[in-house]
Amino acid sequence: MSQKSKPIIIAFCCNWCSYAAADLAGISRLQYPGSIRIIRVMCSGMVHPELVLQTLNKGADGVLVVGCHLGECHYLKGSEMALARAEIISDTLEDLGIAVERFQLVWVSSSEPERLVAAFRAMSERLGIGRAADNGVTEAGQ
Amino acid sequence: MSGAARPRLCCEWLHACSGCEMALLNSGELFLGLLEQVDIVHFPLLMDHKYQCPGGSETKREKFELPRAEIGLVSGGVASKDQVEVLRTMRERCQILVACGTCAGHGGIPALRNQWTAKQTWRTVFPEDERPCSGEFEPKDWLDRVCGLDELVAVDVFLPGCPPRPETIVEVVAALAAGQQPQLAEKSVCEHCPTVRTGTGLTSVRRFLGNADFDPQEPDAPMRCLLEQGFLCMGPVTAGGCGGREMPLCIDARVPCHGCYGPVRRQGNPLLDLLNILVSRGIDHRAIVDKCSLLKFSGAHGQLRPNG
Amino acid sequence: MPQMISIHPVTRIEGQARIDIQLDEAGQVADTRLLIDALRGFEQFVIGRPAEEIPRIVSRICGICPWMHHLAAAKAIDGCFGVVPPPTGHLLRELCHLLAHIHDKILHFFFLAAPDFIFGPNSDYSVRNIMGLVQREPELAAEVVRMRQLSLAMLARIAGKATHPVAAVVGGFAKPLAERELPHMLADGRILLDFACRALDHAKQKIFIRFADEEAALGAITTGFLGTIDGLGNLRLFEGRLRLMRPDGSVSDFAAADYDGYLAERAEPWSTAKMVYARTWDEGFSLDIEAPRGVYQVNTLARINVCDRIATPLAQAELEAFRARFGRPAHGMLLAHWARLIELVYVCERVLELLADKRITEPMVCSPAEPRAGRGVGQVEAPRGTLIHDFTTDDNGCIVRAKLIVGTTHNIAPMNMSVRQAATTLIAKGQVDASLLNRIEMAVRAYDP
Repeated sequence: MSQKSKPIIIAFCCNWCSYAAADLAGISRLQYPGSIRIIRVMCSGMVHPELVLQTLNKGADGVLVVGCHLGECHYLKGSEMALARAEIISDTLEDLGIAVERFQLVWVSSSEPERLVAAFRAMSERLGIGRAADNGVTEAGQ
Repeated sequence: MSGAARPRLCCEWLHACSGCEMALLNSGELFLGLLEQVDIVHFPLLMDHKYQCPGGSETKREKFELPRAEIGLVSGGVASKDQVEVLRTMRERCQILVACGTCAGHGGIPALRNQWTAKQTWRTVFPEDERPCSGEFEPKDWLDRVCGLDELVAVDVFLPGCPPRPETIVEVVAALAAGQQPQLAEKSVCEHCPTVRTGTGLTSVRRFLGNADFDPQEPDAPMRCLLEQGFLCMGPVTAGGCGGREMPLCIDARVPCHGCYGPVRRQGNPLLDLLNILVSRGIDHRAIVDKCSLLKFSGAHGQLRPNG
Repeated sequence: MPQMISIHPVTRIEGQARIDIQLDEAGQVADTRLLIDALRGFEQFVIGRPAEEIPRIVSRICGICPWMHHLAAAKAIDGCFGVVPPPTGHLLRELCHLLAHIHDKILHFFFLAAPDFIFGPNSDYSVRNIMGLVQREPELAAEVVRMRQLSLAMLARIAGKATHPVAAVVGGFAKPLAERELPHMLADGRILLDFACRALDHAKQKIFIRFADEEAALGAITTGFLGTIDGLGNLRLFEGRLRLMRPDGSVSDFAAADYDGYLAERAEPWSTAKMVYARTWDEGFSLDIEAPRGVYQVNTLARINVCDRIATPLAQAELEAFRARFGRPAHGMLLAHWARLIELVYVCERVLELLADKRITEPMVCSPAEPRAGRGVGQVEAPRGTLIHDFTTDDNGCIVRAKLIVGTTHNIAPMNMSVRQAATTLIAKGQVDASLLNRIEMAVRAYDP
């Protein structure tokens, strides 16, 4: 983990809006950083806070949850669930000793590939600067 | 039954309070029965087996000598280098290693220390006027955080609880002695809880500053679910089994569960899980004072870290 | 050749410890140390927690006397929030406190200490323990186990969880005692009292008679004593004033909240266990066994020494007999065991008193509390000695400062002296064997650390 030169960012993209936007970004030949790894989920509201934490703890530098705009969810209430969960995550990361900027929730509709790519770039740049300490056991005082 | 044929049991405690050992003794007559099934070869609370023989010969020897055993029971997390060595020796000497208690599995209450560095803790515990004459913090003996056993060695059986239910400890050791896989509860505290749930009512959470609502004339009559009463009961996110087939123990005392068996799934994070439950019911989680307290039994594995 | 002897771990005590004995060129004892190394950090990690959670956190300081930490903290937090428990809540707390004393005393005396006397310090280590006792005196062992079970079962009836309890809450107790439990509790209490009396008689006939020889082998130390009494000078365990007694028997009494003016903590460079000394004596601190300064002990012998009398008849008769024989203050290292069984009788009698109190089953057990800034000192007598919890809260009712002085901390200094004394008396010309080292451990075991 310590050998890694480039950050890794996991983006959980919902099937209906943001993953479609990622598809469109590809078709449109938009460039985004190689650090992004997209994982398709059916709905942003199904990304459990623990999944985000586990992703960060297992070595991801950042996690993006990307879903449909509020009110446009394919399952009606999924985006609201994602928003509620994002609040807990943001509020809790600090308590858990993890920098808050390593997590972000973004709304992207299927017709907004530029917005998606901009979010990818923004996070990549934000995290490119530094990295939180890893989880290894070190001796006290070191 | 001949003594030599019995499986040997080796017990050690690390960053622990001796509550797990007490729980084993509290099983009373079951403990006496267990003595017929296993041979205890090392158990600092009860018998005088030492790490080294007295007199100290000049031959090179390990720092901690422990006898070989079929079953090893270790309670407590790991917080010092000596404890790491004891644990590694236990792993080497015991065929089956049992992490006994929530501290061994998840760090337990002592892992709350992980929110501070060892140095910060040392400075608080030894304020300047009481400090050892030599003065400053020497980190040589301590790890910077309290770890669960499985962060350092392979663990075969996790037996959670603070302390584990006495009968369960005996059952697990007896099963292992008989060559069987022990059966442990896999569901949450709520699965065993007899309180009445209606699915309504929970609108906010409040601190436990007055007793729960139940009939004081009939203290054992059915009571409304404590979470629905607005208390931060950790039952939904805590491994069950504390009361056996009976009521969970804290609920029996009419006090909300505070999570002493650790998360339901080994990798779980009770803090996020409980907040997730609250938001899904539309409860403002900001009413909770000191959210980290929800990790008070599972602060190892990097779940709690120094803040800033 | 200088040589270092280690007893590691010290066994049949209720915690982890090591004894290092440094011998000089001639094989005589040059230095001894009793080491208890741990950075547990409770005083750090309770900071910021909501105060009402503290009793359930600090119980984990000790798995053998969790009730004492639980109750001392509950009392301290009551003080922070300025709330007074209703009488029934207070009585239930005391009842639990006493029941927890019972199982602890049985454990310590029969499981941990008695094998030294029943089998003798020279016996083989593999039988000199409770497992050996089960083989040799199965009936006694079975009864001891059953009596412990009984007191634990009584605790569970009142409080649900018997180890690492949760039932004492800020403002009182979480659940009333049901009227229908009372007959069972009374019957069980009488069984325990009967057992306590028989245990003391048994020990006098079979066990304490060995004390004279062992005491002579170990030598004696002279220290002061600290314990708890009520306004009339009666022995108390759950509440009361502290009494600090000098080695000559002169005393000063003070409220627990003023402990700071009388006692002070300090750490030695070789140990992470702090030591407490009597600041009020104004003589500093020294572990010199010939001329100790500021050293006092707690635990059963200390309590039996500082009290003027015991308010229950059977225990009072035993106390009088004890005093007639050993004087006041009594100074032998092993007498703590004797004092422990006298206390066991007192505790059982007091349990029956409480159960006979009409108020014990009243439904009003808890006063509502509001978080606020404040300071509270909670004190109880734990089996290991005087236990003091001192917390300060902020406006939101969260902890900003914590100071804990546990029973064993008071005793670190006298235990070190006892080890030094025993080692010096026993070791000559570098000759050491297992039974000799066990005798040194017996000096520690008496303190029930």
